[in-house]
Amino acid sequence: MLRTTLAGLRLHKGRLVTTALAIALGVMFVTGTLVFSDTLRASFADQVMGSAEKMDVVVLPEDERRGTVPRDVLAEVRDLPEIDRAAGVTAGDAPLLDKDGRAVGSVPTLGVSVGDLSRYSAAEGELPDAPGEAALATVSASATGYKVGDTATVLGPDGGKHEFTVTGLIDFGTAADVSFRGAVAFTPQTAVEMTGAEGFAEIDAVAAEGVPRQQAVDAVAAVAGSGTEVLTGRELGERLADQAGAQADVLAAGLLLFALVSVLVAAIVIHNTFAILVAQRQREMALLRCVGAVRRQVFTSVVAEALVVGLAASALGVLAGIGLGAAGFALGADALNTGASGAAVVLQPGAVLIGLAAGTATTLFSALLPARRAMSVPPLAALRTSAVAAGLDRRPGLLRAAAASVLLPASAAVVFLSRDAGSPQAGLYLVAGAGMVAFVGVVVAGPLLVRAAVAAVSPLMRALGVSSALAADNARRSPRRAATATIALTVGATLITGYAVINSSMMSTMNDLLDEQFPADYQITGQFTDENPAIPRQVARDLRAAPETAQVVAQRSATDGTPGPDATWYSTLDGAPLEEAASAVRQERAGDLADVRPGSVAVQADYANAEGLGVGDPVTVKTPDGERGLEVAAVVEAAAVWSVLMAPEDFAAAFPGKGDEIISVVGAEGAEAAKLRDAVYAAVEDHPTLQVDSVAQMRKQFEDVLGTAFLAVVAMLGLAVVIAVFGIANTLALSVLERTRESALLRAMGLKRAQLRLMLVWEAVLLCLIGALVGIGLGVSFGWAAADAAFEDLIFSVPIAQIAGFVGAAVAAGLLASVLPSRRAARTSITAALASE
Amino acid sequence: MSQSAAQAAPEQSGTGTPPVVAARDLVKVYGRADSAVRALDGVSVEFARGAFTAIMGPSGSGKSTLMHCLAGLDTVTSGTVHLGRTEITGLRDKQLTLLRRDRIGFIFQSFNLLPMLTAEQNILLPGRIAKRRHDPARFRRIVEVVGLGDRLGHLPSALSGGQQQRVAVARALLGDPEVVYADEPTGNLDSRSGAEVLGFLRDSARELGQTVIMVTHDPVAASYADRVVFLRDGRLVDEVHGPTAETVLDRLVNLES
Repeated sequence: MLRTTLAGLRLHKGRLVTTALAIALGVMFVTGTLVFSDTLRASFADQVMGSAEKMDVVVLPEDERRGTVPRDVLAEVRDLPEIDRAAGVTAGDAPLLDKDGRAVGSVPTLGVSVGDLSRYSAAEGELPDAPGEAALATVSASATGYKVGDTATVLGPDGGKHEFTVTGLIDFGTAADVSFRGAVAFTPQTAVEMTGAEGFAEIDAVAAEGVPRQQAVDAVAAVAGSGTEVLTGRELGERLADQAGAQADVLAAGLLLFALVSVLVAAIVIHNTFAILVAQRQREMALLRCVGAVRRQVFTSVVAEALVVGLAASALGVLAGIGLGAAGFALGADALNTGASGAAVVLQPGAVLIGLAAGTATTLFSALLPARRAMSVPPLAALRTSAVAAGLDRRPGLLRAAAASVLLPASAAVVFLSRDAGSPQAGLYLVAGAGMVAFVGVVVAGPLLVRAAVAAVSPLMRALGVSSALAADNARRSPRRAATATIALTVGATLITGYAVINSSMMSTMNDLLDEQFPADYQITGQFTDENPAIPRQVARDLRAAPETAQVVAQRSATDGTPGPDATWYSTLDGAPLEEAASAVRQERAGDLADVRPGSVAVQADYANAEGLGVGDPVTVKTPDGERGLEVAAVVEAAAVWSVLMAPEDFAAAFPGKGDEIISVVGAEGAEAAKLRDAVYAAVEDHPTLQVDSVAQMRKQFEDVLGTAFLAVVAMLGLAVVIAVFGIANTLALSVLERTRESALLRAMGLKRAQLRLMLVWEAVLLCLIGALVGIGLGVSFGWAAADAAFEDLIFSVPIAQIAGFVGAAVAAGLLASVLPSRRAARTSITAALASE
Repeated sequence: MSQSAAQAAPEQSGTGTPPVVAARDLVKVYGRADSAVRALDGVSVEFARGAFTAIMGPSGSGKSTLMHCLAGLDTVTSGTVHLGRTEITGLRDKQLTLLRRDRIGFIFQSFNLLPMLTAEQNILLPGRIAKRRHDPARFRRIVEVVGLGDRLGHLPSALSGGQQQRVAVARALLGDPEVVYADEPTGNLDSRSGAEVLGFLRDSARELGQTVIMVTHDPVAASYADRVVFLRDGRLVDEVHGPTAETVLDRLVNLES
């Protein structure tokens, strides 16, 4: 029996090529992801282990965020007989200025010390050796454009500017905060001067010749005292590797999710192919039954065929996946800061086995139903000669209609429920559940949908000509087949459209939020440090004096002293009447913002509810100097952190020491953009650490981030779409084989080759369009539902241009899918096809 | 019925009008060199307008090949075929397609109809392909003659074999082609349905002046024709005018011996 199966496979191998490709692509994605993440994890680990293992003993403060190791510990460690050499690492804020003289980033650059004994070495140039020298982290160098030999300015603890010659670049790799802060490395003495740090962030030591590591660690631990943690270099390396590995795991999990979608789509394609093959080979199966094969043997022969195809295609997919993983790592290494793009590809048995297993199991599983159908072919079917070519389904039943008419409204009901789900998570789960119910509904109703869709466009297609008319009739003849082929495409189209809708809604919501919260042209804030120093008052004064500005609002805040998130925030807005300045206010629930004068305040609605406050009630403001009684003049809803908004005069009296936190600048009408910019930068010139954000730039950054994310998601889902297109091409190719005789008949009656080809092009485009349009419909609905559940106050927006693009892509996919089948159909010799039956 | 010579002269079709279809020295070789098979080996034959001719011969005699070459479905190795004044042996595929579309009708043994089209749509299909308006009166008359009036809206799968062939006949006749080729049109039918279909073909020749050329191996089917030509080993070996089943059978038996 196995021999028959294999012989059959050889005979029909052409029919299975596209199926095999579909499986191979899905497996490629799975294995590629695994190889990529294994390699990434290994390269992360290599890197941190390499740097950490240079040291035998490492002393860290127990509180890694704030604590330090006292300076005198270093001398004691050095005096230990078990220790050969030791060095302390100084770390602290050392704001690096860019070429325009502004501090880089919203968090000050990290200043660290490097010396003879250091975990890090120069990736380019040399480590600093003299007080006037510094090395930059590679990330800082690429952010500022500084190169080895340039002169860079760094601010000292007093705010003074110090110039350094850049001697080299250091790759800190995955070191946690360097990747977003950047770093400047100095000699140990300079590092202390520049950061003003009191203790050490880390002490690194090398054990004396012949001293076992653990002994050295114990000796160091004895002198290091409490509040410190003493590790071997290897232990530190492992800890860092775990942290870096976690990063790789998150990435792998995300990628695997997309790989799963591809495998799912491949499963649909495989199922359809086997279903069609079994239908076409009915007589073959029946003949087997006639010559004595029992049902089980027929079943086994189909399953065996699936097994062989699944294994072969999966093997191919694993090979391609290894290549993909390697290529992905080579391309992505730089972007991911692994710093080791040349590292060898890591191939773990897991990646190969999971790929093989996923592909083979998917194929087997997808072939089960068709195999069952093959089993039920009666032997008599071999003797039956039907005068009508095969491939006409029975009319899709009432059962389907009934099931769909339950499932689809049920899904809609769940979506409706999700709107009052309480938490965004619960809402998202409900929407996801509803999405699945709707998808099952679409699968069940697929044949009906296809029939209805084709019926809807039939008149048009009939009017267009004989090729399109025949295509419309063909598309309707086996709706089940057509539906399965299109549903594979629907999966990809739904996900892509859904994401596009979420993306575009987020973009419009973000734009609206920016308009609402920053109705300004520029915003000035301090760099984010532990102390959060205020913006000097002079900045706001200078800005107000500039003719290019129309409104300069400074925000000051204070808390009631409660630590943590339960603190009550008091704020004021100075520079414009409150009702204009408080742009974050969405709605006045009671009272009027304009009535907030010295002696009265506005309160947020939820604070008012919690405290039982209404307009006219007294409210207490807790200051460091005691409590002050004020009166509620307005209850408002606002997108801001403050609970109580005070008049500037009251705030100054209550919290006299507080400076400006945020300054919003609105340009004067008619002021030139460049002049306004110059005025803003002139005002902050003496304060290089102040961050100046232009709202236009923030908007662009948001759009860039969202746009990049969208492209990445589309690329990941693109493979699923490619697999689906293979599926449609395959369905069509199998139909062409089945309809050889019909094609010959049409040609004999005078249908031109080009017309025959056009017929198949129409058919493919029609199928792709149906799949894409159903997907777009689902995607828009569930994209909206998901975004609405996840974000409050979402502004729903449908990306019409993108969706038009998807429709165009579907047409293109149809054209592509029809290339091979239509060539084949047009090439068939009329006489040969007429002779064979 | 005179004993005709083995090399029957094709020019003797009896009427003064020029033949609709004329083949001269047709040779068709399949394969090449040592494995070559001469399916047609110098066939010359003419078919007169309004005549119903049957081509007969044992299996492998080349009768289907002859029909395919006459109808422009297959190319010839040498020799010529004329349809009216057009020499079709020199035509390219595209011109042949147009020729079949506009001037020839076909009836095959089976799989004659497109399964997704109704009987009516099948009958009108050649006209649609050619973007030709059909003559409603002719359509009604043909449908009436073949007796399909109440089955027009049915899909082929809902029709009996005989009904399906009658649809095929109606389709072939509707466009008023210069010649209708029928390849074993009754091969899959029971004798009653077969008789009906053959009757229609004969009537269309007699009443509508339709030229019909039919390939068959059934002497009874051949007896409906005005003339029967016999092929053996790719050569035209005999012909009978005004045949009956018995005379045809006699000749066949002679051929086999």
